[in-house]
Amino acid sequence: MKNQRKKRTLFTQKICRFCSEKIQHIDFFDTKLLKPLISERGKIVPSRISGNCARHQRQMTEAIKRARNIALLPFSVEH
Amino acid sequence: MRNYQSILILKPDLDEAQVDQSVEKITAIINKFGGSVLKLDKWGKKRLAYRVRKNKFGYYLNVYHTCEPREVPKLEKEYQLYELIIKYLVIRLEESDIERVMSQEPVESVIKDDEGDEGNNSSESSDDDE
Repeated sequence: MKNQRKKRTLFTQKICRFCSEKIQHIDFFDTKLLKPLISERGKIVPSRISGNCARHQRQMTEAIKRARNIALLPFSVEH
Repeated sequence: MRNYQSILILKPDLDEAQVDQSVEKITAIINKFGGSVLKLDKWGKKRLAYRVRKNKFGYYLNVYHTCEPREVPKLEKEYQLYELIIKYLVIRLEESDIERVMSQEPVESVIKDDEGDEGNNSSESSDDDE
């Protein structure tokens, strides 16, 4: 019984932040929305960490890549 | 005829008159290829995430327009040749996208963002020159 309880606490379900806010479309120029989803180094945070659902993760990666193209988000952090 | 979104980054050191002039020029370019401007937002001067042609800042313009699909490469070529544009991005929009765009207000975070950045402008850019 003890083991079972431990396991349950390990796998808490993360919630997709776009689903919870009911965002239908992710604008690539909405940097405020996208900034929390890139790491310190400018990498895209994987869904296993951010907890985003697959659909929103796909939309989000596209948005971030477009934002990078137009210098709204960095490809990598400058030194 | 399809709907497109063009994001253009102009040189940062332009005054209002020059910006208006370039807006006119860009409208003329779009009209030249049989398109028409649906909506034009000025996002103003913003900090760039990385340097573009040695510029750390850029004046962003966001244009929603129509264009003939086969004229898009020519349109992009015109953008490249226009010396005040340092970077551009043309994106195709679906019908549903354009309806959403026309009804909604410009995203506030985009505009708010640059106000904070501009305050740091002078000090940071001077550091860079050294």
